[in-house]
Amino acid sequence: MEILAKLAFTIYAVIILGGGLVAVSAKSLVRSLVGLIVTFFGVSGMYLLLNTPFLAFMQMLIYVGAVCVLVFFAVMLTRADGQGEEAAPITAKRRLYALAAGLLPAGGLALVLVKHPGISKILPEEVPLPALGSGLLEQYSLNFELISLVLLVAMSGAVLLTWERKEKK
Amino acid sequence: MLSIIPPELIRIVVGMVAVMAFVAINVLVLVYAERKGAGHIQRRPGPYEVGPHGILQPLADAGKLMGKQLLTPIGADPILYWLAPILSFLPVLLLFVPMPFGPVLTVQEVNLGLLLILAFAGINVLATLLAGWSSNNKFGLLGAARAVSQSVAYEIPLLLCVLCIAFQYGSLNLSTIVEAQGSWPWQWNFVCQPLAFLIFLVSSFAETNRAPFDLPEAESELTAGFHTEYSGMGFGLFFMAEYANMVVVSGVCAALFLGGWKGPGIDGVWWFLIKVYALLGLIIWVRWTYPRVRFDQLLNLNWKWLLPLATLNLLATVFLMKVF
Repeated sequence: MEILAKLAFTIYAVIILGGGLVAVSAKSLVRSLVGLIVTFFGVSGMYLLLNTPFLAFMQMLIYVGAVCVLVFFAVMLTRADGQGEEAAPITAKRRLYALAAGLLPAGGLALVLVKHPGISKILPEEVPLPALGSGLLEQYSLNFELISLVLLVAMSGAVLLTWERKEKK
Repeated sequence: MLSIIPPELIRIVVGMVAVMAFVAINVLVLVYAERKGAGHIQRRPGPYEVGPHGILQPLADAGKLMGKQLLTPIGADPILYWLAPILSFLPVLLLFVPMPFGPVLTVQEVNLGLLLILAFAGINVLATLLAGWSSNNKFGLLGAARAVSQSVAYEIPLLLCVLCIAFQYGSLNLSTIVEAQGSWPWQWNFVCQPLAFLIFLVSSFAETNRAPFDLPEAESELTAGFHTEYSGMGFGLFFMAEYANMVVVSGVCAALFLGGWKGPGIDGVWWFLIKVYALLGLIIWVRWTYPRVRFDQLLNLNWKWLLPLATLNLLATVFLMKVF
């Protein structure tokens, strides 16, 4: 079974990397978005491989079903196919910066992984849904509330931005 | 040789083939039922020429769709344009995996079955959007814009209603929820959750883009909305996905609120099918009876009525469960 798991991991990794590559290199914004969606699919497959189907389905429901659809909506409203800043040809300098920006966090994460290898390779047991719920509301309630605070800040920021724009007009 | 293949894999493969056959037959039957139903509701015979009482009409339609040339409009994004119909039909087969057709007649028992259906049903919206945007057609774009504001809005009350039932049984497994309901109609969930049932029904009409909420493809305003430019099987896939989604929605509704495969007398797959086809009949009946709502009416209905009611219903369910 270990070979199968490795095979699945490779397939998902290729999907994630391929999607990511399309997302950063595509000329059209919508194609980039499709690349991002492909990446989300791959990540959700990784969650399945880790035996956490709840996270995998939530990834699909929230990121693919809601976030990407809303991003798509925003892209459609802005008519992004015009001659915007993004349409300019990419210079070598920008490519270099982008590569550095991508490699830096990847390198950092790789360093952490090498220093702290996984404790076991045995398939983790699936956490039952009630345990997940009580964990979120008991043991990790503070973290849970903090995340909601972050969302609140983001939402009020978005509202504030549109308000300022209305005043200018 | 056979011993190497795990039995679960065989079950899934056999199940998927059965599901494919089920979906294909249902699309054929539903197309005929819809056209005949539309005809009789509008006091005309409906399809009548191909075969006795037009019964071979869906086959003729299928032949026509497959024979047509596939055209990509000028200026359209060719990859995204053809990705959209495929993406629209692909998840459909997955949606039937956790569907409890009968006591043992489920492709694969999934503990999070309800979540799986909701997660993969969202891909349909994405396909609609891609289709509308990549067609390079203003009707398509308008249809897509309508589709997204409609689906995003109506998904929330739908989820809240599903949550009510999930809270009540502490499970997201459709089979568990069906088993917990009794055999008699008054033991089914729509009796103790009438509001959730009603909101679920209305929201699922909107989620499947069916009249009176078929604004993304409103023929009289937008030609054909998001699939204006699609010819042949491109359109055919959208069409099949719509009917398959209708079957899925009816199946989920039957399992959640109408007792699934349980019924008076002998429990079994027949009860599930009877309920699913009754709901499908209702969907078709409503389509040809009610006029299309206006866009502002559609959004007002959701944000001012369905969403607050669904939230209240959820809070009331939680409160009652804590008290009793």
